[in-house]
Parts: sequence; C-alpha cells; structure tokens
Amino acid sequence: MVLNISVHGVRVQFDLTSCISLLPESVPRRSSRGRIALESPATQEDKEKMSSSKAKMREKKMKNQPSSVQYSPSTTQNGGGAVVSGGGQLMERPKTPHQSAGWSRGHQRDGGSYAKEMPKCITAGAFARARAAEVSSMLKAVRKTTGSCHVFGALPKHMRRRAMSHNTKRLPRRLRDVAERMREKSLQAGSKKKEQAKNKSRKARRRHGNLLLEFNRRQRKNVWLETHIWHAKRFFMVKKWGYCLADKPTSKCYRPCYRALSSHCLLQDLSYYCCIELQGEENNLLASLSQLTSKETGPTFAAALSLSGQKQGSVVMYRAGCYPLQPLGPVTFLWRPQSQGSTLRQLWIWAHPTMKKDLLTELQTVCQCDEAVAPPIVPIEQKLPVTPEDKQIAGTKRKQTVKDISGPPAKKLLGDGTRSPTTPVSWKSNCTGTIINDLTMEMVRFRLIGPQSHTVLAETLEVATKYGESDKLKPSSLWWPEHCKEESKMVLHQEQADAYHLLKGILSAGELPPGTVLGLTVEDPRLTLPTKKLKALPSVQKAQEVDEEKSRELMLKGVPKHCCQSSLWDRSVRDNVTENRISEKELNHLRGELLVPGSRLSPAPPQSSVPVLLVHQPGKQLGHEMSSWGAGWDLLLPKGWGMAFWIPLVYRGVRTGGLNMSLKHSQNKGVPHFPHDYPDCTSGALFQDEQEAELLEKFRRRPPAKRTNYIKHGCLAPFRCPWQQLAEEWELILIEEGKKKDSQTTRGADEVIKEETTSLRDMTAAKPVSCVSVLRCRKSLRLLSGWCRPTTSKGQRLCRVEKVPQLDHPAMTSFLTAHGMSLVWVRLLMPSKGKPELHAIVCAPTAEDLQLLDKGPGSSGPQEPLHRDHFKSRRKGSTKTATSSLPSEKSEGQMSHLLTASEEPKPSSKASSGFTAGLWPDPLPSVTSHCSRVTLGWVTQGDFSLSVGCGEALGFVSVTGLLQTLSNQEMKHRGILLLRNPTSLHYRFVKVTIEV
Amino acid sequence: MVRVKSRYLLCEINVPDRSRLFLLDDRAVAAAVKAAVARMHGDYGAALCSIRFSVKYLNAHTGIVFLRFPKKCYRLLWSALPFITCIETRGQKIECFLNCLHVGGTIRTCQKFLVKYNTQQLHRMLPKCKSEEERSQVREAILKCCLTRGNKQEFGEESDSEDDEEQ
Repeated sequence: MVLNISVHGVRVQFDLTSCISLLPESVPRRSSRGRIALESPATQEDKEKMSSSKAKMREKKMKNQPSSVQYSPSTTQNGGGAVVSGGGQLMERPKTPHQSAGWSRGHQRDGGSYAKEMPKCITAGAFARARAAEVSSMLKAVRKTTGSCHVFGALPKHMRRRAMSHNTKRLPRRLRDVAERMREKSLQAGSKKKEQAKNKSRKARRRHGNLLLEFNRRQRKNVWLETHIWHAKRFFMVKKWGYCLADKPTSKCYRPCYRALSSHCLLQDLSYYCCIELQGEENNLLASLSQLTSKETGPTFAAALSLSGQKQGSVVMYRAGCYPLQPLGPVTFLWRPQSQGSTLRQLWIWAHPTMKKDLLTELQTVCQCDEAVAPPIVPIEQKLPVTPEDKQIAGTKRKQTVKDISGPPAKKLLGDGTRSPTTPVSWKSNCTGTIINDLTMEMVRFRLIGPQSHTVLAETLEVATKYGESDKLKPSSLWWPEHCKEESKMVLHQEQADAYHLLKGILSAGELPPGTVLGLTVEDPRLTLPTKKLKALPSVQKAQEVDEEKSRELMLKGVPKHCCQSSLWDRSVRDNVTENRISEKELNHLRGELLVPGSRLSPAPPQSSVPVLLVHQPGKQLGHEMSSWGAGWDLLLPKGWGMAFWIPLVYRGVRTGGLNMSLKHSQNKGVPHFPHDYPDCTSGALFQDEQEAELLEKFRRRPPAKRTNYIKHGCLAPFRCPWQQLAEEWELILIEEGKKKDSQTTRGADEVIKEETTSLRDMTAAKPVSCVSVLRCRKSLRLLSGWCRPTTSKGQRLCRVEKVPQLDHPAMTSFLTAHGMSLVWVRLLMPSKGKPELHAIVCAPTAEDLQLLDKGPGSSGPQEPLHRDHFKSRRKGSTKTATSSLPSEKSEGQMSHLLTASEEPKPSSKASSGFTAGLWPDPLPSVTSHCSRVTLGWVTQGDFSLSVGCGEALGFVSVTGLLQTLSNQEMKHRGILLLRNPTSLHYRFVKVTIEV
Repeated sequence: MVRVKSRYLLCEINVPDRSRLFLLDDRAVAAAVKAAVARMHGDYGAALCSIRFSVKYLNAHTGIVFLRFPKKCYRLLWSALPFITCIETRGQKIECFLNCLHVGGTIRTCQKFLVKYNTQQLHRMLPKCKSEEERSQVREAILKCCLTRGNKQEFGEESDSEDDEEQ
C-alpha cells in the first residue's frame, strides 16, 4: 500500500502497510503545556547574559511560542533499545512516554549512529499526526498573545477600548467571563497586599491640635530642636546623633554664607550640644576633673581665668588617667562665678552628643557619683524656692502652652522628647556631695559667628526694664518682679547693662578677649521685632557715644568678674521663665489692643524678662594670618525661648548655617572639627566607619564602568584612613633605618644613636597593640612647628618667639621615643594649582621632585605611574569558576621591600562577598610604600579655601614620617610635601605648617 | 511602526527519503543557507546573510522551516535558496531542496499560514486514504486541528493553571 501525496509538485512516496502497525507512537508529541525541554540556542545563551528577572520576562513571553522540533543525540542513544524488524526494514524509535524530556539540541559528534536508529519510512498516520501537532502548536502561538496576560490582549487592536480592564462590559461578550475571573483574582491579590489606611483630610491634619500631636509623635525617635520647623522649611535635614539637624540650606548660598562669616554674621542653632552640670566643692571637683585632662594640652579646668567664671575654657578630655591615649573629645566649660560665702561651685561642661555618654560615665566614676537621683526630686530645687507648678513639670518636661483649663490637650514638647520621664538625669555622690546633672536640651544655644555678631546682638537684645516701684510689695509668682525686690541684684543688673552698652562701641567681635562671658537679663526680643528684615550694621554714632577709656578696658580685660553672674544658672529661674513665656497668640492679642497700631508695647509685660548668658567664642587663634577670623558670640537661653529669639535675630539680616557650615568654619579656622578629625576618639572612629559606609554606598551606586578604579590610581583606601597601620609601618621603617645605621657605624662613632635605637626597639617590642594617638602636647607641637618652617622664607613674615633647636639626629630620636606612634594635625597649603579632596594622600617628595620645584614656580608636581589592577583577572576567574587558580603576577616596579610580601592579599580574601571592583580588598598591603612616593598621611578636610585663595587641606601625618622627611630635606626646601587626590595621578607641592 | 523590519520565509524542506529529515537541525539549515548565499552572491551576500539572519523554527517531522531575513535584502537572499541541493548535518549529506510556501512580515502571519496550509494538506490526504485505519487516523488529526469549543476550553484552562502557579 503506497500513498502518494503531491505537495507542490513534489511526490513523496510512503509505504504505509509495513509501518502502520509498528509505529503506535512514532510521532513525538509536545508536552501538554506546550513548553518543551529543548530550547533554542539563542535563549540559552541569552539567559546567561540576562538577569533573572529579564529571563523570567522572556520566558513568559516565549511561553506560547513554538520551538523547533528536532532530534537530539541523547534520546536516540537512551531510548533506542527497542529494535523492531518488519518487512525487511529496520525500525528504531524512542518509545519513552515523555519523549519531550529528552529533546535537546546539540552537535552530534558521532553522527554515524543516526543512520540505523532513525526510522526508515513514514506512515500516513504519523504524517498526519505530525501535521496535527504542528498545527496545534501554531494555533496556540497565534491565538495566545505574548506579553500581557490580560484578556483584551487577545483582541485585535481596533477592537480595544479605553478602560477595558476596569469595565468588563466594554469587552465582547465571549471574553467577559474570563475577564471577570481575572479581575476578581487581581482584586483578591490587592486586598492581600495592603489595606489602604484611611487618611484624615489635609485640613483636619493641619488643625493645630492634631498637628501638635503629629509633631510630638515624630519627635519620639529623634529629638527636634526648637527651631526645627523653621529649619525644616529651609534646610536639608539629617538624622544624626539622635537629633534632627539642619545640614545645609536648600538655596544656593555657600559664598554668601562665607561672606557672612567673614564680614557680617552667621547664625547657627547649637542646642544639640549637651550640657552636663557639676555641683560641689571646688577642690573636690578640680581634683576629680584633673584626672580627665592633662596640662600638656593647654589650660585645664583649673585655669585661673576660667575658674573665676570670667572666661569660657576649652579642653580635650581623656579617660581617667589614660593620657595621651583614649581621648574622649574636646569640650568647652564654664564655671559659675563664686557667690559670696559659699564654697559650692557650679560647672557646665558642653560636649558633643556623640561623646556625651562616655563623658557622663567617666565623670560618674571620677566623681564617685553612682547614686542616681529620681528625676522629680531634683536636688537643686530643695535649696531654692519651689513654685507649685515646678514639681509637676520637672518630671514631664512639658510646657503648658495655655493656662486655660479648656486649653488643647496636646502640649508642645520641649526638651528631650525621646527620653522617658523616669530616666535619671542627675547623680549624687555620698562621700563628696558632688552632684552631676544632665542638662541636655534644657537650654538653647545659638551661635553667632562673624565680626558683626555683637552688632546683631546689640540690636536684637534690650536690657530688661526694672519692674515698677509701686508693685514691688505685691508677691508674684513670676521671677522678675521677685528679682527686682533685691537691691544688690538690681545694682548688678545695672552694671551688666553698662557693660553690654560698651559692646556696641567695639568694631569687631574678634577684638574682645577670647571666651568672655556676660550675664544679662533682656526683654523679650519679640517686642522690638522690626517690621522689615534689615541688615544690622554698626552705627558710628553709637560707637562715638561710648566712653573710649571704658571700651579699651573691655577689650583688654574683658567683662568685670561680677558681671558674669546670671540667673540662668538657677534651675528654678529657668523653669519659671520657660513656663511663663507669653505665647505668640497672647502677644499678638496685646498688640492688637494698642491704640496706635504698630507701636511698641509699653509697659512691657512682667513675663518678658529673660536671663541670658553671652559667651564669646574665640576665632582663629592658631597661625599668623587671619587671626581671630570667625570669632563670635554664643547666646544661651532658657528652653522654650528658642523661636522667640531666633526670628528677631534672623530679622537683623544674618545668614543661617547648618552642620555643613560649621565644618567649613572650623576648616577655615584650621582647627579639627569634632567627630570628623578626632580619629583616636571612639566617636571619631565611629564617624569614620559611618563615613566609609556612606562613601562606599555612593561608590557602589555608580555603574561599574563609570567608577574610578582606585587600584589603578594606587589609592589603597579612598574611603577611610588606616591610621593605625600607617603609624605601625612608620615605626617599622624607623627600626629598619636604625639597623642600617648600626651596620654602617660599627665602630661606634655615635653610641648615642645606637643606644637610642635599641631602646626604641625595646619600647616597640614591649608596647602592646595600642591605638594610635594624636599629638596634642603643646610643647612638642611647638617644636615640630619650628622644624617644619624653612629657615629662608621670602614672603612669609615670621614672628619667631623662641629659638627652635636644630633638627639633628639626637633631637629627632629623642622626640620619636616620646611620640613615635603619634599623628600630628597639619595644615597644607597649595601655593600653585590644585584643590585637595577628602582622603587625599600626603607624600614625601624625593630629591628629584624638589629639583623640579627649583626650575620655576610654574612647574607642576610629578606624576604617579599608573598601577595595574591584578584583581581584574581574579574577578573574571572568580565569576566563572570558584576554584580557579590565581595568577600570582605582580608588578614589583616601585612597590618595594618591607611588608609587601607578608601582607599581600591572600587568595581567600577575594572570595569575600564584600569585594568591589576598583577597591583594594582587605587586608591592605603596605600603605606607606604602595606608591612611588612614600605616604606620610591623609587629608581629612580639603577644599578650596575662600579665605586664603588657594587649595587648603587639613589632615594628619605620622610624626615619624614627617620627621624623617624633614631631616632628609635641605634647609630651603623644608616643609615641602606632596599631595595627591585619590582620583588623580598628579602630585602637587604643598607647604606644611603646624599651627600652635 | 518603529521597529526593525524583517521578512519571514516559511519554507518546506523536501527530501527524497523522509526518514532523513530527522537528522536536520537548525544550525545545519542555517549553515546551508549561508553557504548557498555566499556561493551565489559572494562576500556581499555572505555579509548580508550574517546580519539578523536566523532560523526561527524547524520541525524535523514535517520539514517546515522559518527563516528570518532583513527586509532590506530578503529578495537577494531568497534568490539563493533554490540553489540549495543538500544540507550537511552530523557528517551526512542530505539531499534536499527548499520550497518557499509563504513570505510574511511577522512570525505570526507565517504561523497563521502554516495552520491553514497543514489543515489543507490533511484534508487533501483524507480522500486518498486506502484503509479504514488510515482514514480514522487522518480524521482524528483533522479534528485536532480544528478549533472546537473543547479545544478552546483546554487552552483557557491551561493558561489559568499556569497563572496560579506563578502566584
């Protein structure tokens, strides 16, 4: 039986009879799902390249598409067991039920096996079935649309209508059922995801009481300053150290802010600084505090001027008895002027919030204050008169905004909202009677920086008027009328007012002795709020009015001692003032009742007298140029009065700055900024970790092809500075040098050196793995600073106070014995081009580099040869096979000697998940000898300095490295170093100065 | 509207010995086409053939092939197809010639045409069947090809069950 079919003129002959019965399942069928195991080559390759989600999408899209139907070698080999012979024709067919499973494609190497295993003939049934299978798969492909799983995807385009998925009636009737089902399913899925919260209307949310509730809720996690809302409207806010702080303004005002700093006034809210109060006998306090400080770093708590209360002091605190290791951080402190006949003293220590916890525990151990006092019974209140409301409020720290009983239930949160009311805030010592109070957020601190800050203050604040004579006899719950009754206090008030008037006569805030304190009682500045924002300018008239003699005295001696007293020191007065503040609403009401609109309220209501403290902040004290730049005043207020003073200050035309501006301020002053530039403190180390994580995250967000390859730039640690490693390596280098010297001078020409080096070696051997420390000893710094200066400086005017000893070998060795592992804070100026960046590398120049400098002033520095990225090949290897052996090639070019071999990254390190292209994985190789120039240190703050007019960097260098470099340099090139940005290969010459 | 345009050629591979069809695979077909084009049109043709030419589908049972050519030069490439006389695969030469059935702008039109064409083939086969057994088999196949209500249901359910799995 032969079937002849003519297909387009081609005759294909089939021998049917012999085959029909033998081939029950001769046609391989597609799997029921239409998805078959074999995949086209394109999809397989693509899948490797594509990400998983893309592959998934593609799979979904290709789900219904037919794929090629071919035989693979594997099935024929596996399933070719049944050999059936019939009619002289050999038949071999795979008979496994799931033929599709074995269908895969691939090149056949031994193609010869096919000939016998393939069916020799075909039947009509098989033919028909093959056709039918193909048709059904094609049908499926044609009928099912790709991509969208919506029902209306099946409709031709011209029949689609808007919002079909929403309203199923728009679909043709035959598709409605399916669409309905789909819709129900999606609805179910939606309900599973999230119940949409029912929000109140905006109007309801913005209603005063609700808004307050909402604000209080948001303050539970991070403390808000009193000026938070004002700042949040104008600044980028960051959550830092448990506070919501303003970082930088949203408007572009970097230069205006700088101009304000240097010529007018910049205002900052520093209320986040923590105040810790110590009360006790003077001797006890000084004895315990002396354990935390060292005289070597400068004047301490016991300095006479600060102790009298005339000056605010600043000091770096250390853990008890640990100097020079384990510093806590810098603090400023203020003694309360001694009142007559009392030996009890009061001391405020202002510290940064990151170091507060450590400081507090340290103070507690030093003062032996272990007994926590329950919050409501604050000790100071027992001595001083207590108003009935005080007791109620002390615990909750809430302020009654309105005294009406029908007032809103929500109360504005003042002070620390994150702290629970039961947390102890004061500790008492049983043996010495010392009391420690935590006054965090109990006071508002505003900082005005700039030469005209006193003018702004003078315009804003007016001395409080004395309370009327007639009402004197009446007892009052308010603080000011009671205060006015005492004659001695009124005399003091008058003297303070006189001193305050003298302030108007000075020309710049920098003229005053640094740290001057002035206590004052002022009127509510809201009463004198100008109608328009005007820039406060110094008036010549006022300056002439002031007695010349007196103002000169003020400039030389500062404010007289007794004028530093203020009622702000008394807790009861603070609470009273906070509580009795006139609200904005009441004030406006009073204004509205005035006969002449816009005129001043007089007499001023008795609630409007506020005790304040004005504390002078010193400007730039280090170095020779721009002295007293950035001086200003700090304004201390009782809490609750923040906004009442803030707005009037802003109306005097000051600029406001955030955290960013305070960083720039300290950069221009050339002083280390607290958490940033204290790598030896715990909070500094913490900050460094945070910064690294932040920078790394930013780096990883860039596409890999656009990232800087720091390995190629020879930059080992672009995001953090391994200070510890640097110091240790320099220590080792020193020892090596010593050994060399030893071998050279075997005759024992200089036995001293030998002795020194051996002692040094002993010292380093004995030294435990100590942390790196920053050199803060004034004497040593002065010595170093003298060594840094070139002796023949042309343009630099030097006022050398003392003769600096010669930098020779014995002097150097003795210095290094004391401070071998230390880092030193240096200022680097770029006399030519270049803008230093964060974590730029400070290097020692070679002799050839210095010759380059001689050629001319225009010659730029040397270049770093491009490094090779060995990790690139490893990276490739690691992606393909995990166990690939590593190429151990290594460009040994300049990477010389020492630790390179020992600290070369192990193969295992690259397997770590944290590996990022372009960054050295841990552990780092030798940091000092990685580049062609020897690394001395890194920059922690670097920018174009608007005050100097060239690139200026501040950072730390290793003392050992610096001294080695200096001793090798000629006299005329002393103090010239190289600086290289992490993203550049170009070294720039910098002049190093150490300012004391 | 805005897309890379191609032409899809639906071709049938005709071989004297149908069992040899099973040896075919898409790489072999592609190589054969490329070789033929290179022979006929030289380097120019070979270059044209290297851009976006692919074998989209091959059914070794029926000998149906979808070839994709760029629209710009498909005529030139098409003209080389009649010169294919054998396809070399797995070390064997299969004598054959390609018969173009349809030229479409999308795969979808080709698929549609193929459905129609195959059904037509089966219908032609039916009257020529000699035994009752054959007749029944072919009839069954034809029935499978037709879109009946039952078939539709099957498709619909399939898709539903898949959706469930995805969730």
